[in-house]
Amino acid sequence: MWSHTRRIPLAAEAGLAASAALGLFAFVAATLTITTHPIVVLLLVAICGGVVFRAARTGSDLYAVPMALAAVLAFDFFYLPPLRSFGFPDYANWGALLLYLGVVVFVCTISARTRRRVDSLDRAQATLAKEQAALRRVATLVAQESSPGEVFTAVAEEVGRLIATDSSRILRYEHDGTATVIAAWNLELPFRVGDRLSLEGQNLAGIVFRTQRPARVDSYADAPGPLAATVREAGIQSGIGCPIIVGGRLWGSMVAVTSQRQPIPVGAELRLAAFTELVATAISNTQARADLTASRARIVRAADETRKQIERDLHDGIQQRLVSLALDLHGVDALLPFELEEAHAQLSRLEAGLTGVLDELREISRGIHPAILSQGGLEPALKALARRSAVPVALVVRTNRRLPDRIEVASYYLVSEALTNPAKHSHATEVRVDVEQTNGLVRLSIRDDGVGGADPSRGSGLTGLADRVDALGGTIEITSPPGNGTSLLVTLRFTTPEGDFASGGTGSDISSTGLSIRPREART
Amino acid sequence: MTALRVVLADDDVLLREGLASLLDRSGFDVVGQAGDAAQLLNAVRDTEPDVAVVDIRMPPSHTVEGLEAAGSVREEFPEIAILVLSAHVEVEHAMTLLASGHGIGYLLKSRVVDVDEFVDSLERVANGGSVVDPELVMELVNARRRDDPLAVLSAREREVLALMAEGRSNAGIARQLWVTEGTVEKHIRSVLAKLNLPETPGDHRRVLAVITFLEAR
Repeated sequence: MWSHTRRIPLAAEAGLAASAALGLFAFVAATLTITTHPIVVLLLVAICGGVVFRAARTGSDLYAVPMALAAVLAFDFFYLPPLRSFGFPDYANWGALLLYLGVVVFVCTISARTRRRVDSLDRAQATLAKEQAALRRVATLVAQESSPGEVFTAVAEEVGRLIATDSSRILRYEHDGTATVIAAWNLELPFRVGDRLSLEGQNLAGIVFRTQRPARVDSYADAPGPLAATVREAGIQSGIGCPIIVGGRLWGSMVAVTSQRQPIPVGAELRLAAFTELVATAISNTQARADLTASRARIVRAADETRKQIERDLHDGIQQRLVSLALDLHGVDALLPFELEEAHAQLSRLEAGLTGVLDELREISRGIHPAILSQGGLEPALKALARRSAVPVALVVRTNRRLPDRIEVASYYLVSEALTNPAKHSHATEVRVDVEQTNGLVRLSIRDDGVGGADPSRGSGLTGLADRVDALGGTIEITSPPGNGTSLLVTLRFTTPEGDFASGGTGSDISSTGLSIRPREART
Repeated sequence: MTALRVVLADDDVLLREGLASLLDRSGFDVVGQAGDAAQLLNAVRDTEPDVAVVDIRMPPSHTVEGLEAAGSVREEFPEIAILVLSAHVEVEHAMTLLASGHGIGYLLKSRVVDVDEFVDSLERVANGGSVVDPELVMELVNARRRDDPLAVLSAREREVLALMAEGRSNAGIARQLWVTEGTVEKHIRSVLAKLNLPETPGDHRRVLAVITFLEAR
């Protein structure tokens, strides 16, 4: 089905075979009339044998001709006088021989045709098996939650092998009616990742965008539009394209082209659809993951903002009011006559009470959000944390610049939470806290020299921080072998991978499109 | 002796007025009030006070504007004493202020409730002394270290160290601990020797040295 051979009408084929047979017969007979030298006979046998062998190899209908001819010659040689020699048969036998030749040609033609049909079925089955294997390979990648980039590369390679396309692209349709190149396989085309393409004119991306169905262009020779012109200049002859539908909406398309003169087989664009469905699944998975991460990040960010706001309200609002009240109280105290000892004593107690409230308020607001973290950054905040720790802390911070807010806040809470454990349970004499920042990553390591054996699955405050770490695309690892201390290793990421595949798509569905773009904002 | 002239800077009008009347009653002369850093600089230029009392959080961002304003005042009028009030005390802020020279103070805002102590602090600052909030000093002194250099100090010596860090003079420390100045001097020499700190002339340099030591230990 994937490859095609030209068919000639049966009658023409049979006629051709018969004339070829007669020609060959005439040639052999004529040669033998001139000489019956054994070398010539041997040569003739070799020629006939060669023709039979060659015809049998190609399996064409003409296979029948030499077979029949050989049979007629053999009959002539062995059974017609003069025996053991070639000669023209007598005219009475012409009819019988011709009939015999006709029957043999007919039978052989039928058998050759049958064999060819079986062959073509075998080929189709093999192609189908190859295609299924290719689909399975890609599906496995999707199931393994590979990135859309990896899935696309696999699809491009498989499609290149199966359909003989030599270049392919994944395009994402934008709201302004253009398309962005998201992934490229085989870079012979001038379109690079990130390029914006106009869909005007006759081109695959445009046709798929307008029809939302698989499409093909058999020749770019006189296709209008700027995109088609670029493709033509690049020596591309034909191509196929298929929509990528994510969540019921047209997200983009996959386009595969070839520079071969032979057109891409009929129906190849429908085969491509099976592959683009897998690409769509991978994109949809990534989008779902990105959405989840983004929503976690939003929740964490909202909580952080709230904490910061509460800390501000406590300091700038309530604390100020309390201090004002205490000053008023002192004013009243100053107004009262000196002799009212009891009243002065009561006012003093009130002042002392207010001082106590102010102290508590300060402790509470520090727990809610340490102001020094936003003002001075991670290092001074962690130093303050270390000074207040019940277990001595050896702190090393290897970062010389301010980190993104969410990274600083997450690092602070992680260290803060990690320091409560050795104080409560581990009988540690020291905790080592190391903070290191290397290209796009922050690594936190908190190790104590306590008794170890902590079970992180049993309701630790750290499990509550796992969401925070996830939201930052980070990892968290707790090891606590009995007798060997507890260590907590955290990696936090500044940048969000897979931004391109996790966003975009046409349509007016702001609720999903708008939000899924959010992770890109979070890049630094 | 004439009353010490004070400029107040705090964006909270109620509190500022309360503080102004408290200082008035306590014998200070409040010559100017300001709601932000720019107004403070203008008031200081206009009145050239003895001391400026500055809230660390002021408009526009309510973070450390007071700290920056204190720096500007210092640069333009190095002889004017500055007392910075804050909702919470941080070592980094204290170090920044102390580095700008003597006649500097850094206290929790809630300290104004204990009027006598507050007035005393303000006078010390105005007279060129340095004042660091006791809470901050406690945090520094009480921080736990595995090989703690403070371990060699006796309990009384730790008290003396803390009072030095708060910026008290020998006489002030003696008053706090109910001992003679001679005894205090003996303790101080012992503390400095044990911690390998140089004997520095002047209270301010002593404060700076002690706080730096405590912060770095």
